[in-house]
Amino acid sequence: MKTKGHKAFASLRAGVIATVAAALVVTPLAVAHAADVPTFGATCSTEGISTGQKTTSLICQKNGAGKLTWQRVRLGGSYAVPVANLTPPKGSIEFHHWRSEDKVVLQGIIDDFQAKYPGTKITQVITDSTNYQNLELSKVSVNPKAALVTIFRGQQFTDFSKANMMVDLSNERFVKQNVIQSALTPGILNGRVYAVPYQSLFNNPIYNTEMFAKNGWKTPTNWTQLLGFCKAVKAKGIIPFAWPAATKGNAGQIMNAMMMNSDSSIDAITKHVNDIMAGKELVTDAWFKGIATKYAQMNDAGCFPDNVVAYTDVAAQADFAAGKAAVYPTGTFGMGAIKALNPSMTGKMGIFGMIVVDSKPVYEGITNNTFMFSINPKSSSTDQKIARAFMSYLLTAPVAQKYAVGTSQHVSVINVDYAENVDLLNTSVIMGKKLVLAPRFLFTNGAVATPVELALMAIGSGKDVSATLADAAKQIKTALGA
Amino acid sequence: MTSPAKKSKRRGEKRVLMWMALPAFAVYASLYLYPALTNLLYATQRWDGITKPEFTGFRNLTYLLTQDDLFRKALGNNLRFMLVVVIFQTAFALMYATFLLKNSKTNIFLRIVFFFPTILSSVSVGIIWTFLYDPNYGSITAFLKSIGMGSHAPLWLGNEKITLYSIALTQVWFHTGQMIVIYVAGLQQIPKELYEAADVDGATRWQQFKGVTWPMALPTTAVVVAYTTIQTFRAFDLIFAMTGGGPNYASEILVTQIYNTAFISQKFGYASAQSIILVALVLFITWLQRKTLRLKDGTK
Repeated sequence: MKTKGHKAFASLRAGVIATVAAALVVTPLAVAHAADVPTFGATCSTEGISTGQKTTSLICQKNGAGKLTWQRVRLGGSYAVPVANLTPPKGSIEFHHWRSEDKVVLQGIIDDFQAKYPGTKITQVITDSTNYQNLELSKVSVNPKAALVTIFRGQQFTDFSKANMMVDLSNERFVKQNVIQSALTPGILNGRVYAVPYQSLFNNPIYNTEMFAKNGWKTPTNWTQLLGFCKAVKAKGIIPFAWPAATKGNAGQIMNAMMMNSDSSIDAITKHVNDIMAGKELVTDAWFKGIATKYAQMNDAGCFPDNVVAYTDVAAQADFAAGKAAVYPTGTFGMGAIKALNPSMTGKMGIFGMIVVDSKPVYEGITNNTFMFSINPKSSSTDQKIARAFMSYLLTAPVAQKYAVGTSQHVSVINVDYAENVDLLNTSVIMGKKLVLAPRFLFTNGAVATPVELALMAIGSGKDVSATLADAAKQIKTALGA
Repeated sequence: MTSPAKKSKRRGEKRVLMWMALPAFAVYASLYLYPALTNLLYATQRWDGITKPEFTGFRNLTYLLTQDDLFRKALGNNLRFMLVVVIFQTAFALMYATFLLKNSKTNIFLRIVFFFPTILSSVSVGIIWTFLYDPNYGSITAFLKSIGMGSHAPLWLGNEKITLYSIALTQVWFHTGQMIVIYVAGLQQIPKELYEAADVDGATRWQQFKGVTWPMALPTTAVVVAYTTIQTFRAFDLIFAMTGGGPNYASEILVTQIYNTAFISQKFGYASAQSIILVALVLFITWLQRKTLRLKDGTK
């Protein structure tokens, strides 16, 4: 799918051509694969691609006879249409989350909700993400007013479930009918939905489409191409991948790509991770060493900036926004900040899956759902009702669309249209790829995840692979024994 | 001899004083004493903060002292950090205080200027200095480049060998002003007659410092050194904001490790054992410093 500049897109929206733009939203890949006209029951060629997130969308899947055909996407838990939000009782609750960058947009939504339901009050309580992950469970367990609580996928979700701190939302109609069911996976435990993912993140590299077009670069589709791309870009004096090795959280994002095709399936990858966390497999063993070696190869190929060990996410975003870097490798969630730094980047950002194998990849990209809504069981029944009602309001398409467009985040809500945000539109193409849930977060034990990520950051910054992994293995052994 | 009436009055006053101390004691007991005692209990348990704790006796402490290399590394980092900060912060504070002793308008203004960083929040200081140290956008590197030394600009927060010292420099900048104020107050208590006598004896300024200022400033130095030492063991926010303990644990100190053990690894019992070692260490070092300075002072 070709990217479109802001002005060009604005003209597209005008008049009759707006219909075409809307079709592009719904059928991002249909344009790229013109031969596969997405018609229900017609033959298609690329398994897994879909035409969007509407109730009328189609997906390319094998039918009973094993032939790839366009079939109806089962977005909701049933074929029923999305439902309206619930009506809240009067009262006040706290809404806990960590996304200070979304504060203004969420406050606008809250104001609309409060205007619609006078006497109901929602207060945002925002904590930075690191402290949120570490301290929120303790805070919420003694604060019943915190009725609506967002939870990270992975360790925090596990901790909340261990502490029985989430209400079962499986039977809520707004969960079954308003949310893309495949996006619910991170919030499901033992077949029950305890948390509802709101954002659909794509932790894949964002690239400067204008720079690529000007230099005649193509997005790399395999490992050899990727290393070659780095050398070509570096030769032009441009940073190939603005990888922020000094900011642990975002430095770890490319680990997802490094992991996703590191074995034959996500089950096999999960087993490696579980074995490492159980002390049965070492980070010095072949599987993890293979991943770590790719970091070293990228560093050797000049993929990363000079002085990468001290390169922060702030610098990475600044370099990408200023046109000093070709690729911002951490994901779609950085687009809002990049546009804030340089508004002229609007419409110039594309996305690609980072493939680090030369064979046919098992997965083509990463998705993640970190911002998950849950309800505090310690809240009073009235407060829980308010939380449910506000959650259902957030999960209606017009509200989710307002959030998506305002924050430059894709969402997991059915019938959302990204046409008002050209960058969401341009990066929607990734939704048609075969994606895997960010495997980095399979490391649910922080005592293991930290040395693993620090080791990869060090190797990507030029440290020796074997010595660094040996150190990490020792640290993990000590941590597991403590 | 005191009369029974007076005795009874004194007893009454004591009772009133005790009642007056009670609110403060209640706050102290609930916010310090109780957590400290429960910390001792947690140190004997394996506990993830969520499920039921399991009693493990002294296992946490023995494992910590015999098996945990990272703890030893953090301890080593902490001691080096303390040494550098204590030496430079104390030396700079004493030097500046000596020059800014007189209460002239210029000196008072300069004292305020030096004190100013102390009123900033440590996270803000950390963020400011992270920007200053940035190898691509930082003003320190830009300055070095402008004088033709760009190729010699170190990776202040990226090089494992110097990261800790870069943070120590920030800490010294951050708190020297505070110590200047303490020193100025201490030095102003030194009787002028001693300097006059030294003048009469023909002592140079250095000899006056060596023979009068330094010995008379020892009690103040004891306070400054003890306070600075404790500050270096509590430098959590500065390190957290600047490096998070990295790269590769090069700037990890005991408090950041305790935080990581408790809230990232979720080993609350083990973190409690680490904190016991930390408290014991701070007590020991402070005792050692006071003893050394008292010996120099001639008091025992």
